[in-house]
Amino acid sequence: MVKVTYVSTTGERTTVDGRAGDSVMQTAVDHGIEGIVGECGGSMACATCHVFVDEAFLAATGERSAGEEAMLDGAASEVRPNSRLSCQIRLTDDLDGLVVQVADEQM
Amino acid sequence: MTTTIAGPAPLDETITIDQLTRDPYPLYRQMRAERPVLRVISVGRTLLTKAADCKMVKDNPGLFSSDDPNTPMKRAFLAHTLMRKDGEEHMRERMAMMPAFLPKTIQNHWAPMYTKYAEDYVGRLPRGEVVDLFPALAGPLAARILAEIMGVPDASDEEMQRWSQALIDGAGNFGWRDEPFAVSDQANREMDACLERNAERLRAEPDASALSIMVNAENPIAWSQIVANVKIAIGGGINEPRDSALTEIFGLLTNPDQLEEVKRQEAWSKAFEEAVRWCAPIQASSRLVLEDTEIRGCHIPKGDTVMTIQASACHDEEIYEAPERYIVFRDKNPHQAFGSGPHHCAGAHVARRTVGAILMPVLFDRFPNIELVDPAIVTWQGFGFRGPINLPVRLN
Repeated sequence: MVKVTYVSTTGERTTVDGRAGDSVMQTAVDHGIEGIVGECGGSMACATCHVFVDEAFLAATGERSAGEEAMLDGAASEVRPNSRLSCQIRLTDDLDGLVVQVADEQM
Repeated sequence: MTTTIAGPAPLDETITIDQLTRDPYPLYRQMRAERPVLRVISVGRTLLTKAADCKMVKDNPGLFSSDDPNTPMKRAFLAHTLMRKDGEEHMRERMAMMPAFLPKTIQNHWAPMYTKYAEDYVGRLPRGEVVDLFPALAGPLAARILAEIMGVPDASDEEMQRWSQALIDGAGNFGWRDEPFAVSDQANREMDACLERNAERLRAEPDASALSIMVNAENPIAWSQIVANVKIAIGGGINEPRDSALTEIFGLLTNPDQLEEVKRQEAWSKAFEEAVRWCAPIQASSRLVLEDTEIRGCHIPKGDTVMTIQASACHDEEIYEAPERYIVFRDKNPHQAFGSGPHHCAGAHVARRTVGAILMPVLFDRFPNIELVDPAIVTWQGFGFRGPINLPVRLN
């Protein structure tokens, strides 16, 4: 189990048990986390799973790909250095305790 | 120990395309309950009617390819378009124009422009008369904003709608008759000229349109693919916003209590989502099976073509109570009207932010007492694409 904490736009924290190998988006959808839509199922095609990664986990979550970068550029909410499409972050044991903040607008 | 080998999917020899075009929903309900994986002879494909199966297929492009070779689409578009491509090739062509369709560009460019057009087009509708909103509003307005977004603003509403229909009729010409292709060939010639003219203009004066982004990119995709991309957007970008708008207006006008509540809460986005769930403008998609596989205990052989029925996925009783009713205030509405996977509708954000968020409040604000002449005379039509083909209303 990999623990993931989602922080809502109002600051509410929800911690769920994710599975290594699943994406941060899929884990959110499976647990009914508000604000993460993930309508394209993780194909980097809809930009509706935008999150801000907690600084402590930035290195461990890796870099954005060029395609992800392009989609984030057009996303509904402001893009920050720690912006990610959560479908592109795959859970590993190293990410246990991961904290992400959900972007306020996805669509 | 024994292994059971799955048998083929059941075969239907009675359902006709004509039935599916008139009203597929009762047939889909029956399929979901009894034969959710069904080979339908008249369609020549294996129909998948459960939400989970449709999503699984769309999310697995490695097993279910978009490159269905047995369609007249290539002939109609005179191009192998991104709709029928997979993997990196598809992604590259899609991403070449995607920035024009994303929320930031919509917010900065298309939403203000659409607001102006919506006010103009709604503003010129005559008060106190019976007006068919299909030709008088939904069709031309969808054409106008698409011409702007794509970067061909000098194409008229009439041309855009005619080209779109020509491409749709050509791509749906499964009988391979000459006449629809003659019409699509003519439309292709006109579109080619229009695109060359506008590309030249946009090279000199770039803007936020899809054509501008594509021709002015650092590493542009081939011109033939730029042309194909714009044609796909024209072929598929008018009927959906048009049909979703008409469906939503019909849904709201036949449920006046919900309309009042939508106005009170300004729940326009929910009303739009429910409209596309209720009658998905794109009802079905084809995928080619690349390896032998199994769905719900049915053997699906390599080379078969499966058809995901989004229309039915959006009415799946496992997800929706009373799916046949237009109910804006559902707890959750995780519909598949915009599809899923790498081919997820590129125009989804545009549709939501134009038809959903702008057009409806403009229309219902200008004509608060708008009423349907008679719900019974509204005709719904279509198997692949579906929506009302007329919507006579009295404007007050």
